[in-house]
Parts: sequence; C-alpha cells; structure tokens
Amino acid sequence: MEDRKENVARKLGRGFRATLEKIKNFFLSLPARIKQKLAGAKEILTQGNGKVAASMVVMGLGQLLYRQWAKGILYLLAQLAFLAYFILKGAGDLIGFFTLGTHESNAWYGVEGDNSVIMMLMGILAIIALIFYFVIYLANVKDAYKIQCAVDTMKSPASFKKELSSLLGKNFHKTALALPIIGVCVFSVLPIIFMILIAFTNYGGTVVPPALVDWVGFENFTKILTLGQFAPTFFRIFGWNILWAVLSTFINYFAGLGLALLLNRKCVKGKTFWRLFPILAYAVPGFITLIAFKFMFSYGGPINQMITDAGGTAVGFLDIDAKWTARFIGLGVNAWLNIPSGMLLATGILSNVNTDLYEAARVDGASPWKQFVRITLPYVLFATMPVLISQFIANFNNFGIFYFLRGGLYMDGYFLASDTDLLINWLYNMSIDNNYYSIGAAISIIIFAVTSVISLAVYVLSPSYKQEETYQ
Amino acid sequence: MKRRKIRPKRLFGAAITYLIILAVCFVFLFPILWLVLASFSKTGSIYSFRGFFPTEYSFDSFVKLFTDTEMYNYPRWFLNTLFIALMSSLFGTTLTILTAYCMSRFRFKSRKALMKTTLILGMFPSFMTMTAVYILMTQFNLINQRWGLILIYSAGAPMGYLTQKGFFDTISISIDEAARIDGATNFQIFMRITLPLAAPMIVYTLLSSFVWPWSDFILPKLLLKNKDLYTVAVGLMALDNTEFSRFAAGSVFIAVPIVIFYFALSKFLINGLSAGAVKQ
Repeated sequence: MEDRKENVARKLGRGFRATLEKIKNFFLSLPARIKQKLAGAKEILTQGNGKVAASMVVMGLGQLLYRQWAKGILYLLAQLAFLAYFILKGAGDLIGFFTLGTHESNAWYGVEGDNSVIMMLMGILAIIALIFYFVIYLANVKDAYKIQCAVDTMKSPASFKKELSSLLGKNFHKTALALPIIGVCVFSVLPIIFMILIAFTNYGGTVVPPALVDWVGFENFTKILTLGQFAPTFFRIFGWNILWAVLSTFINYFAGLGLALLLNRKCVKGKTFWRLFPILAYAVPGFITLIAFKFMFSYGGPINQMITDAGGTAVGFLDIDAKWTARFIGLGVNAWLNIPSGMLLATGILSNVNTDLYEAARVDGASPWKQFVRITLPYVLFATMPVLISQFIANFNNFGIFYFLRGGLYMDGYFLASDTDLLINWLYNMSIDNNYYSIGAAISIIIFAVTSVISLAVYVLSPSYKQEETYQ
Repeated sequence: MKRRKIRPKRLFGAAITYLIILAVCFVFLFPILWLVLASFSKTGSIYSFRGFFPTEYSFDSFVKLFTDTEMYNYPRWFLNTLFIALMSSLFGTTLTILTAYCMSRFRFKSRKALMKTTLILGMFPSFMTMTAVYILMTQFNLINQRWGLILIYSAGAPMGYLTQKGFFDTISISIDEAARIDGATNFQIFMRITLPLAAPMIVYTLLSSFVWPWSDFILPKLLLKNKDLYTVAVGLMALDNTEFSRFAAGSVFIAVPIVIFYFALSKFLINGLSAGAVKQ
C-alpha cells in the first residue's frame, strides 16, 4: 500500500507537466492528424477494388475472394459472432443501459424483475463490444486493402501462418500487452466508468436490486450541496479536510526537510546509523503503527495509566467530545508516519545541490539562515514541487489515520460521520457501511475534482512550472 | 586567535544538533520498542503494564498466537496473507515486466496513447473507486474470495511499470540486434537475453509487489467478510481491545520481514525516491 502510494504519487507529480504539455500538443496536432486519417480512409475508398468493398459489406469476404482462407474465415466468424451477440443480447443490453430496467420484481406474484446494476454493467459491456467490433471492422478493411496492394504489385500477400508467427516476433508486443491491458481495463477502467455512472443514478439506500434503479442526472450533487441531510455535514467535513491537508502537508514536508538538513550537518558522525531510526518507522506497515497509537491513547493505554498513577483522571484523547485533541493527535501520528519518507526524499535531493553556491555564499558572509532561505529552500521546493502536490493529494485523501484512530463514530450535527472524518472516511461510511452508493460515488467525483483543480492551480503557479530551466 | 573563538560556539552547536537528533530518534524508536517489548509481556494484558512497559517478560504471547486459534486464528490469517501476497507478487511482476519491456523496446502505433492513458488513469486514486470495486466484486461473485484480491492486486500492478521501463531503457539494444541477426524471435530474445539481464529489477519488482498486499488493509477489509479468509491486517484490526500483547506479537511477526526488506533496500530507496522527484 505504502509503496504503491509512493509510486502513484511520484508518477502523478511527474505526470503533471507532461500531461499539460501533452494536452497542448494533442490539440495542436489534432487537425493534421484528422487530415491524415481522412486521407487514409479516402485512399481506401477510392483506390479499393471490388474485393475490398466486399470486405466492407461482410467482414472477411474480401480475404476469402483473395483465397486467404484462414484469415477470411476468422473475420467471417467474428462478424457472425458479433451479429449473433448483438441480435440476441447486445441490443437489448444497450437499451437496458438507458432504461436500467422496466419490470420490477414482485415476490408476491413470483415475477422475476430486472436487476438494474447488472443491466448497467451489461450495457457498458455492450458499448465496449461495439467499440471492439468497430476496431476489428477497420482492421479487416485495412487488411483487405493491404492484400490488394500486395497483389497489385505482384507480391504474394503474407500467409496466415507467417502472420501468426509474427506474434512472437515483430508483433511480440501485441501478445505481451494483451493480458496487462485487459487486466487494467477490467479492474481499473471499468470501476472508474462504473463509479462515474453510478453518481448519476439513485442507486443506494432503499433503491438496491431488486428495486429498480434510475438515471437522475445531477440530483446527487445538488443533494450533497443543498439538502439539509447532507449539506451541513459536507461543508463541515470539507472545511476540516482542506485544513487537514494543508496543515499535515506543511508539517510533514518541513519536518522531513529539517531532519534531513540536521543529519546532513558536517558535525554529525554516523549519518547512516541515525538514518536507520526514521527508516525503521517507515518500514513498519502503516496499519500496525496506527493501531498501536490508538492503544497508546486509549483509556487503558499507557499514557492514561501514567496520568492516573500520578493522581490525575484519565483523559479521553480520542473520545466523542475530544474534537481538537483528536485532530492534533491525528496530525502528530500522520507526521510520525510520513516524516521518514520526506526525510529520505530530501536527503536524496540535497545530495544534488551545487556546493559551490554555499561556498560563494559563505565568502560573501551570508548567515546559515540566509543560506537556507536563499539557496536550499528554493532549490528543494523547485525539485520537489510535484511530490509536494501529490503529498497534498495523499493527505487530502488520508483514509487510514482517522479510520483507525476513531473509526465508526457517528456524531450529532454530522450525517454518518464524526468531526475528525475526512471526505474519504465519509465516503466509506456512506457507501460501504450504509449503502448510500450513488451519494458516495458523487462524493468521490467531487473529491477528484477538488484535488485536481487545487493541485493543477498550485502547480501552474509554482516556480518549477514557470521557470523550467532554472536549475538545468 | 580567531579559531579559538569559534570553537566553543561550534561545540555548542554540535551538542544541540546531537540532542535534537537523539530526541528525534527516540520519538521514532519508542513506539516500536514499546510494541516489541509488549509482545514479550508475560500476562498479555495492557492493564498489567507499569506505564509503558510490561513488568514480566516471556514468549507466551507468541506461543498463544499460534496455538490458541479458536477466537483469533492467526496462523490461518498468516497463511492467507502469504498466499495472497505471493500470488499477487508473481502475477503482478510478470505483467509489469512484460509491459515495461514492450514499452521500452517496441515502437508501435498506440504506444504513446497507452502511456498517456496510464498517466491519466494514475491520476484517479485507487481508493476513489472503492465503492465501484465493491459493487463490481459483489456482482462478479468475488467477495469473500482470496482470488478476488489477487486479481485486483496483480491487474493493478502493470500501471506502475515506469521504474522497470527505465531499467530496460538502460540495457543496450545492440545485444538484441545481434541475436536478431542470428535469427532469434523477439520472444526468444526476451526469454533468453533480456530476462536474465534484468534479474535485479525482477527481484525488486517481486519484493515491492509483495509488500503492498502484505501490508494493505483497505481492500481485504472491503472484500473479505469471512473470518477464515481474513488477512493479518484485517484480523489484527478485529482483535479485542484487551488483547494488546497478542496484537503486538502478531504485528512484530508480520513487520519483521518488511523491515528487513526495507533496510536491505535503504540505499535504493533514497536514490529511487529522489530520482523519481528530480527527473520530470
């Protein structure tokens, strides 16, 4: 989990500039690319002979006419299979995607109704099948045209056997990438699509199959932002969520940097040894430390024991009324968990700072503080801006901290949440524990929108974006 | 003369530095030390401790952890975790290495598009789709199945192919070309030449894709409802408040392999983290 988070965070940071650049380039190159595609299509349409046209009408027919038996039969089978699927099931699924079911089940009369969730899934699959068919269809037409070109220039077209063996040779990437791509599609892309769609339905609460689910447009979003049941909770949690993300990112970042600078001082001997302690903290799985800290601050925990031994009364650090103590403990625990990785990062970056700069500064009589503010900080900030942003996102969505420290508390004034919960905890409480699926999905879209807008804005305003070449 | 004047100041500075370092190290070490010592407590109850530490020590907690399995079946959880982590690591590594190899060595038409797509997909945090994954898994009938978790972990792994791709980029292509002249197919080149050369990277990938399922709690908590299928993370979360020593012992037992792994890779960690940050 930790490792993956780090990985994702890194990619995310590196991705920002690349994405911005790529979006720009994409739109700039769009006209040329469309032109190119159209030219290709035009060539096939005008130059293609009757056999290519046959392939356009029935997949594989052109290949058969050219006596490419195996390929022709495969394309023909694909055509037939798709037609059979679409007539028997796909078309119905596609309609079902829009209606999400019309027959409500009725146990009394023994009527088996439509299952809206399954229908939505099948609808998505039908759309994917359509796209897939379209891709194969295009490949089929292109293939027929390629054979025509080969025959016209008196070359013999590639045999099926040869093309098959190219899957281990020239086209090895097609074979190798098939499985990873299918996996990512099913387990990463499908959930994203599914979640986005669910946010626009009324799925959840009492509306779960066998009851029929319906499309409701933006109703869930207006509910969250205006309805008395959700809106106060949303804005309270949202405010705290922003404060938490800013505070915790700030604390972790500068504490990590400070620790790295401290250990980097010339007078410190045995740097590797001292570094082992934060690494030790970094290495222990997060859930273990979180549960341990919960024990530490619990009523029977060692801290309270010491307080009672000293004659005091036990303090409910994480109790239902312990708003700010709990929040501060959360910040502290989060710092304990994340400072080590911040330190490792800063250490790595500090080793790349140009030492001549410090030499020059010392000659000019700059104080250590001035050196830090004028040389170290700008450099480190510049180099770590993408990481800083991804840490902000990770903190904004820090599920673990309050799930473990205070999980499952529901408070007055909050709808299924407590005053330390972040949006991500609320989302969990709502959708996993209490079946408010569509509201949960809408919240996750809001979270995504908020975090991406904030991080994009910070990034565009940051020096690492404005003066890209400063340190190159 | 000048030198002497500075010295006491420097000494003072060094003393302060060491004091802070000692304090920080104490802060990081203390909770872990507390856990380790608690796992060796004799009575097992947190109420019998004096302050932070147990009064008497023994191996009882560890023995109980593996023998008293009626309520809390730790050996079972441990095997589940091991199975899930091993399988995910194997499949995930295979997929990641294949993806990275293709992205590094082949220049095909949809390559750029694929790379962009993974980048955009990476911007959707995985927990965001928690609800959707939960519903989907219910529909696929993969709730309460260890294979469901393995599928999710290993299918998500190739998204993190960039590190491995960077490694393949550094292996010279000339060897590949020589082999190709001798008539080897790309598949043979991959199996006979690239894979053996990439051994260190494969080990790294195996380990890091092992660590994630080993210490994850969100997915197993979401998908495993049956007590016999719990992973250690879910099991330890379900422990009663009074079972502190058992929790400590269970934690120590599962944390030790990871800690060793991180220490072995600590140098790599520093380089890797900063390389990822600076290279943009």
